[in-house]
Amino acid sequence: MLRTLHRIVSAPAVLVVAYVLLVGVAPHVSGQSPAAFPSVSNGEWPNYNADVKGSRYSPLAQIDAANFNKLEIAWRLKTDNLGPRPEYKLEGTPLMVKGVVYATAGTRRSVVALDARTGELKWVYAMDEGRRAEIAPRKLSGRGLSYWTDGKGDDRIVFVTIGYRLVELNAKTGQVIPSFGKGGVIDLKEGVVFGKDGKQVQIPLETGEIGTHSTPLVVNDVIVVQSAMAEGLRYEFSTNNKGLVRAYDARSGKQLWRFNTMPGPGEFGHETWENGSWAYTGNTGVWTEMSADPQAGLLYLPVESPTIDVYGGNRPGNHLFSESLVCVDLKTGKRKWHFQMVHHGLWDYDATGAPLVVDAVIDGRPRKLVAQPSKQGFLYVFDRITGEPIWPIVETPVPQSDVPGEKTSPTQPFPSKPPAFSRNYIAPADVIDFTSELRAQALDNLKKFRWEQTPFVPYVIPTDTVLGTILIGNTMGGVNWPGSSFDPETATFYTQASNSNVTTGIITPEYFEKVKPEAQIKNKRIPIWESEHFGKEETFGGGRGNNPLLNGLGGLPIVRPPYGVISAIDLNTGTLKFQVPHGDTPDAVRNSPVLKGLNIPKTGQTGIVGPVVTKTLFIVGDPMVTQPPGRPRGAMLRAYDKQTGAEVGAVWMPAQQSGNPMTYMIDGRQYIIVAVGGGIYTSEYIAFALPQSELARPTTEPR
Amino acid sequence: MVNRIATAAIITWFAIGAAGFALRAQAMPSVWDGVYTEEQAKRGAVLFDRECAGCHGPSGAGGGMAPALTDSAFSANYDGQTVGDLFDRNRNTMPPGKEGQLSGQQNADITAFLLHCNKFPAGTTELPTQSMTLKQIKYLADRPEPR
Repeated sequence: MLRTLHRIVSAPAVLVVAYVLLVGVAPHVSGQSPAAFPSVSNGEWPNYNADVKGSRYSPLAQIDAANFNKLEIAWRLKTDNLGPRPEYKLEGTPLMVKGVVYATAGTRRSVVALDARTGELKWVYAMDEGRRAEIAPRKLSGRGLSYWTDGKGDDRIVFVTIGYRLVELNAKTGQVIPSFGKGGVIDLKEGVVFGKDGKQVQIPLETGEIGTHSTPLVVNDVIVVQSAMAEGLRYEFSTNNKGLVRAYDARSGKQLWRFNTMPGPGEFGHETWENGSWAYTGNTGVWTEMSADPQAGLLYLPVESPTIDVYGGNRPGNHLFSESLVCVDLKTGKRKWHFQMVHHGLWDYDATGAPLVVDAVIDGRPRKLVAQPSKQGFLYVFDRITGEPIWPIVETPVPQSDVPGEKTSPTQPFPSKPPAFSRNYIAPADVIDFTSELRAQALDNLKKFRWEQTPFVPYVIPTDTVLGTILIGNTMGGVNWPGSSFDPETATFYTQASNSNVTTGIITPEYFEKVKPEAQIKNKRIPIWESEHFGKEETFGGGRGNNPLLNGLGGLPIVRPPYGVISAIDLNTGTLKFQVPHGDTPDAVRNSPVLKGLNIPKTGQTGIVGPVVTKTLFIVGDPMVTQPPGRPRGAMLRAYDKQTGAEVGAVWMPAQQSGNPMTYMIDGRQYIIVAVGGGIYTSEYIAFALPQSELARPTTEPR
Repeated sequence: MVNRIATAAIITWFAIGAAGFALRAQAMPSVWDGVYTEEQAKRGAVLFDRECAGCHGPSGAGGGMAPALTDSAFSANYDGQTVGDLFDRNRNTMPPGKEGQLSGQQNADITAFLLHCNKFPAGTTELPTQSMTLKQIKYLADRPEPR
């Protein structure tokens, strides 16, 4: 087998290991016959987001407000040995199908199959991709896996390696499916192009920077794969790989279609790349989770920013489909409709998190919606068949840039409804006010910046009088890769969101000298892998020293709490149902000498974490560790009442939530698995369940 | 004779034990005790710019996916741990793709820069370059009350 894969994959140092422990498992999964298609209604969790609609919802109800605090650890999987070094950033959500938990884990992105009742290891698969993985832009274990079945016993695990290979494994044995692609593998780098000397050429298979952390979307017999490039706000090359989305036949691996998220000559939207900028610009991929409406045969693609996030001088125009939600036909990949949420993006407002495919009743009329969460706190809601905004999204004049060569869009779209679920600018009322001195100091600091009440304040080259711009919704603000969720029974949108990610928009003169069009042209618009520094060391013109925005604030955030929130929005009306702080008050705030003697309410925590929604609860862990009086250092997995937002339970975890929780039921017992890790705590999956003694009482079976 | 040797041995054993106990009873030095030098942090800043800032931002203020190394989440991660834990975490996992390739001296210098960015005072002695020695320095987010 090793030799076979060596030959077929034709990459150096490819080593495939599949340990197979064929431990007989024939569990009883509530209401599930062995050949049926998996579903949350069977107590399973067959997709990263529970279903292809992005709900993260399970109707299970055994764990509820009355017993959440009695949860105990049923089993755990430490991932240290799954890869050459321990991982601290495990972002996966496992699947559970037919009594087996499947997950990615460890720094080699191994795939593990575990007995869902005990956590016993059944098999593990790993591919050693050598240098190709070492220099990949999306390393570590990623978010997880996908599952395909023909409903007749041919069950397969689908995933993408660190080095951007699509692999199918036999779900029962962990062996590759030889009839899929070439020996079970498709090299996803084949067919990816970048601009070189005015032509589009194949990227190098080893060094071409492309990959994905997100899971492929499996809808019926179609596997859809996204694309993500090197990221970072300080990228110095105007040229990169072009984003794309491709679909493959789940049985054979045959490519079914390709959608260019940067439309080429003759394709719809190509002319929005002005001055020939399409030729060399890259990124504009889909790095987050996608969603589908299988009944309508429609696929929803949330598209990211183009190359060089914060400076657009090399890419004039609105450049479709950057920062857009694109609806394509699942069978053909043809565009049905699109909506650009940010024109000529300069703020890293990538579309984040899966689009939510929700059915609601609006003004007495059943409506099919798709709702896109964002970093900038807006929830963009459309009729998912036609693309028409459900509530007006209004083009509104926005501030303009004074950076040389930058041509900002005169307007940006603002949703009139629902209200933002997290801050996307700092209003005067948002400024820290624990004491009048702190507030005065903060306002004084803010005066030195371009501080305007809109999410679209352009970056500046700092001067003696304007040190930068004030932003709060970008980078790690609002919703990021963990995404959001909804209850399909009530059409309620739920999300955790960061509410205090204040950043300063600065293009340093040194950085500007590197990214301005003249410099890029002089450098022949090479991509990063053609740079003489590639793979050796990064050069970076970052400044250092104190951040003048935080001067005199004693290390406290410049905004008042809540620092992180849970927001619920009724999608039948477009109104905020509740918003509550999430997470214990950080130690740095609770113990702050500046606040000594003051009564500080629960502030919540900044950070990005995703939830699971059950029949009665919204469950999500803290993004930060704390050590308040009365409990050991750690983080809490919290349960909130879905109707009111009231916290109804919490259990201790040894580290912060690093990957979204999921839930399933087997043999009459409901489990919640959550990934934790960070700081010096190496990653692990923890499975919580009620003690057997609690299960003696009558339990509620899933519907 | 044998008895006298045995007695001496017991006394010696107790003396060493007591000394050890006394050592243990002393508080460990912490990041508030000036455990790095400004010169070392300056060397670390150059290395940080080259190896870390592309993802973690200038002075570790945070970038896209990479977390900030100066905020309350970072401080919560290491509060109560040791400088050696921070050193080991960086040595074993950073920078991605070059894990373990920076020397002990380079890692110590970057660690010194991170202590500087987190507003811990500089002193007159450089941070040592070995993990086990660095594990004798406590990372405390808040300045301890004077004893």
